[in-house]
Amino acid sequence: MTSNQSRSAAGQPNLRLAADIGGTFTDVAAFDAATGKLRLGKALSTPRHLVEGITAGVEKAGVTYADAGLFLHGSTVAINTILERTGARTALIITEGFRDIYEIGRINRPDAYNLFFKKHVPLVERALRFEVRERILADGGIDIPLDESEIAALGKRLDMLGIEAAAILFLNCYRNAHHEARAKALIEASHPAMFVSASHELSQEYREFERCSTVVANAYIGPKVRGYLGEISKHIQAAGFRGSFLVVQSTGGLYEAEQAKSHCIRMLESGPAAGVIGAKALCRALALDNAIAFDMGGTTAKAGVIYKGEPLTTGAALIGGYERALPIQIAMMDIFEVGTGGGSIARLEEGALRVGPQSAGAQPGPACYGLGGAEPTVTDANLVLGRISADRFLGGEMQLDVAAAHAALKTHVAEPLGMSLTAAADGILRIAATTMSYAVKRVTVERGLDAGDFALVAYGGAGPLHAVHVARDIGIRRVIIPKAPGVFSAFGMLYADLRYDYVRTWPTRLDDASFDDFARIYSELEDQGRRAVAAASMTPGKVTINRAADMRYVGQEHAVTVDLPMQVFEEQDRAAIKRHFDDMHLLRYGTSAPAERAEIVSLRTTVTGIMPKPVPEEIASGGAAPPKAARTGKRPVYFEGHGFVDTRLFARDALTAGNRIKGPALIEEHASTTVLMPGAALEVDRFGNLDIAVGKGRS
Amino acid sequence: MTRKATKTTKHSGTERRKRGPVDPVIAEIVRNGVMAVTEEMKTNLMRTAYNMIIYEALDFTVGLFTPEGETVSIGIGLPMFIRGMAETVKAKIRHFGRDGVRPGDIYVTNDAYITGSHLNHVTLTLPIFDKGVLVAFSCCMAHWIDIGGTLGGMTTDIFSEGLQIPILKYQDRGKVNEDLVEIIRQNVRIPNRALGDLRAQVTAVKTGERRFLELIARYGRDEVAAAIAAIMDRSEAVARAHTKSIPDGVYEAESFMDDDGVAIGKPIPIRVRVEVKGEEMTIDLTEVSRQVRGFYNSGITTGHACAQVAYKCLTSPTDYPINDGSFRSLKTIVPPGRIISATRPAPMRWWMTFPMTIVDTVFKALAPAIPDRVIAGHHADLLVAQFHGFNPKTSEFFMGNFGPLGGGWGAKRTEDGVSGTVAINDGDTHNSPNEQIEAKFPLVVERYALVPDSGGPGRHRGGLGVERVVRARTDITLNTQIERAHCRPWGLAGGRDGKGNSVALRFGTHWKTDFPNAKVLVAQIKAGDAFRLRSGGGGGYGSPLDRPVDDVRNDVRQGYVSVHEAAVFYGVVIDGDTFKVNEGATTMLRARE
Repeated sequence: MTSNQSRSAAGQPNLRLAADIGGTFTDVAAFDAATGKLRLGKALSTPRHLVEGITAGVEKAGVTYADAGLFLHGSTVAINTILERTGARTALIITEGFRDIYEIGRINRPDAYNLFFKKHVPLVERALRFEVRERILADGGIDIPLDESEIAALGKRLDMLGIEAAAILFLNCYRNAHHEARAKALIEASHPAMFVSASHELSQEYREFERCSTVVANAYIGPKVRGYLGEISKHIQAAGFRGSFLVVQSTGGLYEAEQAKSHCIRMLESGPAAGVIGAKALCRALALDNAIAFDMGGTTAKAGVIYKGEPLTTGAALIGGYERALPIQIAMMDIFEVGTGGGSIARLEEGALRVGPQSAGAQPGPACYGLGGAEPTVTDANLVLGRISADRFLGGEMQLDVAAAHAALKTHVAEPLGMSLTAAADGILRIAATTMSYAVKRVTVERGLDAGDFALVAYGGAGPLHAVHVARDIGIRRVIIPKAPGVFSAFGMLYADLRYDYVRTWPTRLDDASFDDFARIYSELEDQGRRAVAAASMTPGKVTINRAADMRYVGQEHAVTVDLPMQVFEEQDRAAIKRHFDDMHLLRYGTSAPAERAEIVSLRTTVTGIMPKPVPEEIASGGAAPPKAARTGKRPVYFEGHGFVDTRLFARDALTAGNRIKGPALIEEHASTTVLMPGAALEVDRFGNLDIAVGKGRS
Repeated sequence: MTRKATKTTKHSGTERRKRGPVDPVIAEIVRNGVMAVTEEMKTNLMRTAYNMIIYEALDFTVGLFTPEGETVSIGIGLPMFIRGMAETVKAKIRHFGRDGVRPGDIYVTNDAYITGSHLNHVTLTLPIFDKGVLVAFSCCMAHWIDIGGTLGGMTTDIFSEGLQIPILKYQDRGKVNEDLVEIIRQNVRIPNRALGDLRAQVTAVKTGERRFLELIARYGRDEVAAAIAAIMDRSEAVARAHTKSIPDGVYEAESFMDDDGVAIGKPIPIRVRVEVKGEEMTIDLTEVSRQVRGFYNSGITTGHACAQVAYKCLTSPTDYPINDGSFRSLKTIVPPGRIISATRPAPMRWWMTFPMTIVDTVFKALAPAIPDRVIAGHHADLLVAQFHGFNPKTSEFFMGNFGPLGGGWGAKRTEDGVSGTVAINDGDTHNSPNEQIEAKFPLVVERYALVPDSGGPGRHRGGLGVERVVRARTDITLNTQIERAHCRPWGLAGGRDGKGNSVALRFGTHWKTDFPNAKVLVAQIKAGDAFRLRSGGGGGYGSPLDRPVDDVRNDVRQGYVSVHEAAVFYGVVIDGDTFKVNEGATTMLRARE
């Protein structure tokens, strides 16, 4: 971590502050455009008053709100409100005959042999789901007109029931949003304090259950998120902040805090998305096209993909485990998550060794935390093998109990399996690595990409410990550990752009689609985006438009999203649209059928307001040999096939650009340790990243 | 004829030959590895498939098999197809002989008497060779939307059900059998979809091959084989331990199906006998009805699948990957000629319905022995509606499948039943979004909703059934083949039955509901008319009078139970406007019983 500067940057209006609130820590990154200096701060999160955690982080970074022209924010407030079920008392207003679609869902039973399976639990109970007589048809025609007096009567009932938020979903509103818009206007007029959300504002894509779940989630978290953002806004203004307050969306794009107060669901996964944006920025600085952003923390590992310089996004995601998930149908960074982290518990199940997904979390935590955890975890295995230091954990702020880790591993794994302690610990790490490697492969496989061609950008507290191992399992040859991997999400926010995503379902055969209709639909969507950008308090450099369409062959069910350059519309080149689709189909599925007709399912467009970006700071350069100050000694570390090796230790902060280190070695820093396995070699690049050639060797 | 698991154990015997201790770490890595392989096969099939049944309804199964045809891992798909692929792989090995199986081959069949199911289930198998040695089979079954044969209506032999593809080589040492492709093209109604699905299946089995070989390249051929054997042994141990915890004894139960769709109103008896002795269980299906004239039959593979599904649910429901080790302690007795071991040329188009009730009946038999682990009866039908017609604008022929609908599941000793969920034949199967259906077909869904009072009353209430009302915007022909209108999902331990499945048609404003069963065949629905499918609720568990008053009150407040039934079955008197409980009247009602 960069040390605090004694000279403050007072008076610099171009200071950008980014604050990422996670479950345990609040990370702050501050970039001073005038000096090119990046400062970082990490403080414990303060669940009761999250603002205090941000302020503590800002202080640790040695800056003040008054110096900042821009305040960027990512937070787990939205996702936690759903997971912890602490949202508003919400009502659902829905087309007559359909109030149960939210509860019926997709009727699937993934845990197919388990008679005790569970379904998703709706955020709104049946008694608070109200039907309204109206019906729009799939072609946009009106089957049954909306009865406005019914809405008025319903409004009175909502008052009696103490409803704080209302979600509106009418069938086929993606073709004609008039009824939804009217119902929303009526409720808002009579209930100015109520949080009201209509589904077409968030998604104009068909699939009523998914859209319903999305709009309900937005309403459910709405009052809380609105209050939260309002509180932060008030607090930073009181502290002298006069700039723009922007929030990170799940796409990694920014939007105005005022917009986040109504489209709350768009900030659901802001932290993880910001990490991928950081990886994208890193790729740009290093002229890398393809990379996997690998973020491993205490309970999970997450993987996102940068392909041809851009992060891959998806149109929908599931919140919670697959079996009981609530779907959210909005544009998001495509991130795959697996329940493997430092706290993952290793245990025997009927004689087989399993690692995770149960996690010891922060409480009681791994056995070595000495907080009462008795079961061995991935962190305990790392400690037993010498990969983390008992007295330098979190910069020495927390002393680890080696004996407890030994005892836990011995009792629960090594002895029952008749293995040595080290073989057991090493086995746990190998199982964890393969599990994570499947997660990483999965995000690429679904896209028809080969993970082996990508670089792995590893961050999060535990990412650098396992990155080389995971890379070898996947067949990846290059790993990059960014500077300050523990606060990478906050860093990533500094590189985000203003971004607005739109989608509208428009089932049409490509041969029949008129370019006038293309132009009309796209510009309706894009005008909204341009207006949103124009309304932002921060003026972007320029505005770009990226169009895409969900397409399929006639007769096929599933559609793929195809990026379409503006040129095909300017030149009205129907054949080119078809070619782009055929190529995408071939990439993802290995087959295409150029002779078959195609159809359009939905049109997508992204309006981006490009923000000026920080120029990455370079570190001091040195020779191939790391400076003396960086050599902090040796300790025995276990590597499979080598046994315990007296391994060199390096202090990351003291390394200089150009330094080269051959594995085995450990590079230690405040909140993380990079394990350089035998056969791997690293070079410190000019930005201070550890650029690792994975090399061959057993993993 | 008693066909126990001997064939299975003989094969696995070769696997169980002497081997050194297996590294538990490699075993776990390989376990995760084979599951990842089948998961990726599934992903690739789903994403490339042409028809909605595969993509949205996930009506397919993919898997990896040992060189002997034993199941190593099958991806979550259709539970009732748990046995279908293994038997098909074994039949293909027998057909070509071990020496006839060559690199570059891909085998195909939809022989209903081998797969045990209908002709729509086309199964592709690819032998995987590592440096010339056969190491595994990769296999993929997928449901084609049409395989030819009569359109709708009842069938009474296999010939009217479509194209029969015997065991053939789709690809012979790398060369595609174009003659076969042309035969398929000429025999199905929508050839581009069928052949598109076929290509998707080829992609899936090739994915399985590539990824399994990667696993071998990394960990070694013998090591992977040893790890797979250890995984299967462990699954066996889990199943045996759970079987041992069931008290020894003979347990029997019976139920019935409404009819076979030909002899309307003539019930079809289902009787099962389960014997538990130590670590082993025998499921005897000898007393299940003889095969029937209508298309509800299935092959002997499905007889075994019924027993396996029930056994896995009771002994190792969350043990993954799904593999044949779990079934070594299970014996199944299925003589030929029963509805689940039908012989040629019995019709099988609607194969999946009866087996669901057989599985449920096994749970019913074991209820006295293991009340904590079983479940009351469920709606046990997919409730599918098939329709076809001509698009009024384009005059194009269209055909589609509305469903599955989802329905009520049985209550358990400790929990209420689950509402609106797919029946036990299917697992990760999804319904079709109404908006998607309406965008594609000239139909309007008027209602998709839970059915109040459909769940069987009990200390724990059965889950609720679902209804869907669909209006036609143009003339269509409708077929439903729904069962269990009369044999309602049963309650256990004093719990009451749930409501049965049903169908209704609306002509003008008049609802016609007086059908002898829930099978509506070749019904002509005019533009503006409608049909309604309603799934049953699950059976209840324990006496409804023991259900806490607060739970009953909440059921009424949510509208799951009516004020009327709260009083009649639960003995709880509630005001329908205020949801206040009349304590005095409730005490009296509950005391009277």
